[in-house]
Amino acid sequence: MPKKLEEKIALVRSAKRLSAQQVISQLITDFFEIHGDRQLGDDRALTAGLGFFHGRPVTLLGVNRGANIQQRQEMNAGAVRVTGYRKALRVIKTAEKFKRPVISMLNMPGADASVFSEQHGQSQAIADLILAMGQLTVPNVTLFLGEGHSGGALAFSNVNKILMLENALFSVASPEAVQAILKNQNQTRDASEYMPMTAQQLAGIGLVDGIIAETPAKTLYERIDAGLLAALKRLESLDADALKRQRQQKFARLLSC
Amino acid sequence: MSHMPKKNRWQVCKHCGKHVHELQWAPYFRCPFCHYLQRLSVPQRLKISVDPESWQPMVLPKQTSDSLQFPGYQDKLKDAKKISGESEAIEIGTAKIDNYPVALGIMDSHFMMGTLNTAVGAALKQIMQVSLTQKIPLILFVASGGARMQEGIYSLLQMNSILNEWQALLDAKTLVINVLTDPTMGGVSASFGFKADYVLAEDKAQIGFAGKQVIAQTSHEILPANFQTAEDLLTHGLVDQIVPRERLRSSLATLLKLHRGK
Ligand SMILES: [Zn+2]
Repeated sequence: MPKKLEEKIALVRSAKRLSAQQVISQLITDFFEIHGDRQLGDDRALTAGLGFFHGRPVTLLGVNRGANIQQRQEMNAGAVRVTGYRKALRVIKTAEKFKRPVISMLNMPGADASVFSEQHGQSQAIADLILAMGQLTVPNVTLFLGEGHSGGALAFSNVNKILMLENALFSVASPEAVQAILKNQNQTRDASEYMPMTAQQLAGIGLVDGIIAETPAKTLYERIDAGLLAALKRLESLDADALKRQRQQKFARLLSC
Repeated sequence: MSHMPKKNRWQVCKHCGKHVHELQWAPYFRCPFCHYLQRLSVPQRLKISVDPESWQPMVLPKQTSDSLQFPGYQDKLKDAKKISGESEAIEIGTAKIDNYPVALGIMDSHFMMGTLNTAVGAALKQIMQVSLTQKIPLILFVASGGARMQEGIYSLLQMNSILNEWQALLDAKTLVINVLTDPTMGGVSASFGFKADYVLAEDKAQIGFAGKQVIAQTSHEILPANFQTAEDLLTHGLVDQIVPRERLRSSLATLLKLHRGK
């Protein structure tokens, strides 16, 4: 029985939700974390670094909400700040230099909403990351562990392949923001009944390339491992131009229907 | 000028509340009392920006799509058309400024707050192609509240699909100038908004990513007085220059001249 939107939201926002840090510690060996954007600071919402995945070096970008109150505060509940986008940009440039694929894992509400991020050019930082991800000469893959909304999440998902856990969500705005518009129209059904935002719906329109079942929980890491490995395998034969073209065509095709 | 009340020659300034006669508004639409700028329609923008009779509008490559059949969207579109006199939130075409040929995209905030959807995105990609193939500079007058919610993920994906093609424009030796006008927000500001060789802003324009209300609610911060204004962005090094509307045309002409029209 598929879960209702409300249940999905509760699941992905729960403190017990699988985090990018957990996935990294289970699937990656010799993980080496990279801090800071070299300009303003280090965004703790984004765990960035490199490590071995099946014996091959990869670059990792993991957005975490935090598992307890202290972590949530440190990590700004997953709302990536301007410093996080710039850290990511720096880290993917190095990935490109050393020809490592990039894996992003997300559970984030959207971009940070603060005076700090605005005054330090969050818009440009997001645009720069979107652009750089699209032009990347190495394969990139995104796994939505939880939710991801607005341009903030899109910056990490302008990629060759998108995977989602079965209860993950990806939308133009948070389900609450969509619901608020609907309420003005006296519509009270779930926001997802009016616009595609669930993994199943987004796979249906061709945005999402694979859905990973969340049960049985015992073997979830194995399925994530297999999913990421298969996605990277399918991209390994493509050269830099073919990778760029594949991204461009993936999104263009989806928008032409 | 269809968003202006017909016959009524006096209009209230939205900022100071004073009644201003139409002769005092035209052609720059700056309030003589508080000096705030009114948001312009496309014809008003053209009139003060390009050589007379030089505007060659192009048909938008894609019509508005309501593929999600989002509740209330059709009514909103109908109202937007009536208020703005436009078929969508952008017009594209070619024109001349001081005899220099340019490709132009002009967004209209009177059409659903200039929001970015599939039709606007397609128009932007089209005018980028025109600039590339005809090797003429691209000038964008940006005015947008961000991604259009009613088209859901399809609006969001305009941001990256535009930028995936934008690189060709940035790589070409063609001049790109963005003029950020009130408002330049959200998914527009965080995609092509600042992706130009020169980023100019009109004075007092609101420019940013997240809305002020959202920021106040989320961060519980007291917002600085001039927060998200063009002036604040200039102070923080985020725009090249603030150009008052009265000098915009001559500033654009100077930039074109400095690049010999390329
Ligand atoms: Zn006034």
